[in-house]
Amino acid sequence: MTTMQRGKFLLGALSGITVVANLDHVLGRALADTPLPGLPGAGDRVLLLINLQGGNDGLNCVVPYGNPLYYQMRPSLAVAQSDVLTIDQNVGFNPQMRALKAMYDKGNVAVVQTVGYPDPDHSHFRSTEIWQTAAPEKYEHTGWLGRYLDEAQLPKDNLFNGVAVAQVLPEVLVSNQVDVPSIASLNGYGLLSDRNAVSKRTYTQLVTDNQFPFASPYLGHVAEIEDHAQRGSEELPKLVAGYKTDATYPATPLGRSLALAAQIAGSNLGTKVLYVQHGSFDTHTSQKATQDRLLGEFSEAISAFYSDLAAHGNDKKVLTLTFSEFGRRIAENGSHGTDHGEASPLFAIGGGVKGGLYGTAPDLSNTNMGNVRYATDFRSIYATVLERWLGRPSQKILSGNFDQLPIIA
Amino acid sequence: MAAGYVRPAGRLDVMTALGPYGGPWDERFAAHLLRRAGFSGTPDEVARLAAMSPHDAAESLIHFPDTSSFSPPPSVMDYPDPRRIAFKGMDDMAKRDAARTRRQEAVGNVLALQQWWLARMLTTPAPLQEKMTFVLHGHFTTAAIQKGVWPNLVLAQNQLFRQYALGNLHDLTLAVSKDPGMLLYLDNAENNKSHPNENYARELMELFTLGIGNYSEEDIRQSARAFTGWTIDRQTGEFTFNERNHDDGSKTFLSRTGNFDGKDIVDIIYQQRSAETFWATTLLSEFVYNDPEPELVDAFANVISRNKFELAPSMSVLLRSNVFYSPRAYRALVKSPVEFVIGAHKQMGLKQIVAGTPAALRDMGQILYYPPNVAGWPGGANWLTSQMLIARENFIAKMVNAPDMTQSTWMAQVPMDANRASKELVGTILQGDAPSQAYVQLIAYLNGSGTSALGMLSAENYDERVRGAAYLTMAMPAYQLG
Repeated sequence: MTTMQRGKFLLGALSGITVVANLDHVLGRALADTPLPGLPGAGDRVLLLINLQGGNDGLNCVVPYGNPLYYQMRPSLAVAQSDVLTIDQNVGFNPQMRALKAMYDKGNVAVVQTVGYPDPDHSHFRSTEIWQTAAPEKYEHTGWLGRYLDEAQLPKDNLFNGVAVAQVLPEVLVSNQVDVPSIASLNGYGLLSDRNAVSKRTYTQLVTDNQFPFASPYLGHVAEIEDHAQRGSEELPKLVAGYKTDATYPATPLGRSLALAAQIAGSNLGTKVLYVQHGSFDTHTSQKATQDRLLGEFSEAISAFYSDLAAHGNDKKVLTLTFSEFGRRIAENGSHGTDHGEASPLFAIGGGVKGGLYGTAPDLSNTNMGNVRYATDFRSIYATVLERWLGRPSQKILSGNFDQLPIIA
Repeated sequence: MAAGYVRPAGRLDVMTALGPYGGPWDERFAAHLLRRAGFSGTPDEVARLAAMSPHDAAESLIHFPDTSSFSPPPSVMDYPDPRRIAFKGMDDMAKRDAARTRRQEAVGNVLALQQWWLARMLTTPAPLQEKMTFVLHGHFTTAAIQKGVWPNLVLAQNQLFRQYALGNLHDLTLAVSKDPGMLLYLDNAENNKSHPNENYARELMELFTLGIGNYSEEDIRQSARAFTGWTIDRQTGEFTFNERNHDDGSKTFLSRTGNFDGKDIVDIIYQQRSAETFWATTLLSEFVYNDPEPELVDAFANVISRNKFELAPSMSVLLRSNVFYSPRAYRALVKSPVEFVIGAHKQMGLKQIVAGTPAALRDMGQILYYPPNVAGWPGGANWLTSQMLIARENFIAKMVNAPDMTQSTWMAQVPMDANRASKELVGTILQGDAPSQAYVQLIAYLNGSGTSALGMLSAENYDERVRGAAYLTMAMPAYQLG
């Protein structure tokens, strides 16, 4: 037992493999079930963030079909009035988003129009970074949800306070104190070899003893993540094994990601924030086919996700928020596509949402060099979600006070 | 620097940083050079370089032998696909089927190109040429198949990087601007006078040559006009200048005004100090350590400037420098999956790529010819997620059990004594970069503790235990570091 870490106890031995569970983790789950200190309302709520990466063309997603300028500036790309799934006399959903429209009609989708930020950047990478760090004016290392994890006083030894259902950890979940695992699929989240469990745990402990014959800025980090990989791959399959579902997800990458997100959210792991991504929406050429497909996949997968959640009584516990680094230029380019633009709509989805149309419709005449000007700062939505959904003060996390929107039921 | 890149602790002495290194020299330093200027060394390669001087060791990698006839690539589909023409007259169903077949064949071709390149990385007599080809692939990104980047265009671009591996960055950038794969991937093939497409112009400056903050949005709009008409011939798949689609009007770009075309834009870019600092940052971060100090960037930018963007003399300064061999640079990088996989093959002494390697690389997050986006693969701590590390360890678990392991001559000669075996394994695989307790653990494993089959290392259990111990050695945290 000398090689065991504090907080672990022996569950049993199966075919010579030592099975170890993490006591801290079990305690962590118990703690996560009690309300958080601070603002009321956090409870067992989960936030799922979906990155529509590449720059989703907002004008062909929530279509301003009542505005003749839209049809003038998009001769080959405009969605015909008769095809739009109307929200009101001015705007409506892209025809591929029937399933999302049905959720909207039930009051489970808030559409916030023309969201952006001052002095918009047109680089994918910088603008993605701005949305993820919520810091348009400076280079910030941590993400806004990473800072939430630092602030939220969640159980420190729970490995799954935040989970990125992705290969690469997105900047939004980079935190100073909490390592967020990226788990693209359960299949890939298991170690083949068991011949090393004890030895490997020891190696990671050794790193902290300053015995290594070299220094490296990454050594401690590698050891920490290897330890998480070892523990996480032992624990996670067991923790989510009890989750059964009859939901049919579309056979798309997003469908698979959301199926796993529902399983994690429904397995009582204490997970507060989840991340998935969908794309690429970078439609400089032949936009229609690509964007229509991606919006259709999004709509179908979200619908399956909420059916799955509802069947387990979780649909009111999971709020989904979308974002994209920018919308696209109002006028189409010469390649039946659109170049990088500025403000675009986003969606807040779930049983906990007060559905409806929010914000100002895009102004296609008073533009910023051909781009849609923003009317709602994205940090207003983050502030709303932090305060009214996750129950945490937002001022420190967002470095400022932002008006909130009444999008939470 | 983007998120996830960490500078080593400690202080830089910028006055001596780029001066030639003259300190201790042994297999540990030679292995460091081979990890950086190649994909790690085989035990033989490490021994060979350790027997040279630091100067000769670096020069032997920079002035590599002619590889033009080494390992010819597999034949792949041509652009345009001849069957595209045959599509005419088919009904919709038949066209769809033909297009699907064509796409499947293309995907298979790209897989063959991956296998070919991986094998080349493993066996090349010019490791730095392959390493630079790999670095340039992640820098001037183009993804296969999507947007019509056909397998032969993927191969042509790969060969272009190999040709310029230690050539001139200014010339390479101009060649990349005319590269058919790039013209398709970043849409310049569709950039024309009446509707300029800014995609290439933006990424050229932001990601390829200058870095954000060194140009304006207006510079992007103006330079996009200069690149109008640079396109590909849809019959031959080769670069062509379409004069009718070119905007010949006056442009103002980075404070200069003239009737610029794409070549003028590249020339003006390479007159900027920010191009020198950009490339200095890129190469330091790739070969020395991440997030290099501004003073070090400035000093190396001067080297690049003096050498007029020639890579060979610039890399020669870098790979022989004090800062390159400093303790701060040692194991200061995180291996990319490709470096990890090829390095493991080389250290084990394998002569061919183990079956299943491309699929394993996919699970580790790095598929050759399919960078995730135009910025390439994010490195540093971005490689350190639990899922990716599980994939790395699972690859090693499969590799040590692969039949190919019988090729490994040094593994067959690991002493049948746990004590000496642990020293040999940690020495050869990790150059001794492990704490003393790690040897204790390895010895315990080799002698069977913790398993049902207790017993000292012996002829009976030797093969399995030595393979297992090699796995454990490669599972040590230090092994993830380059």
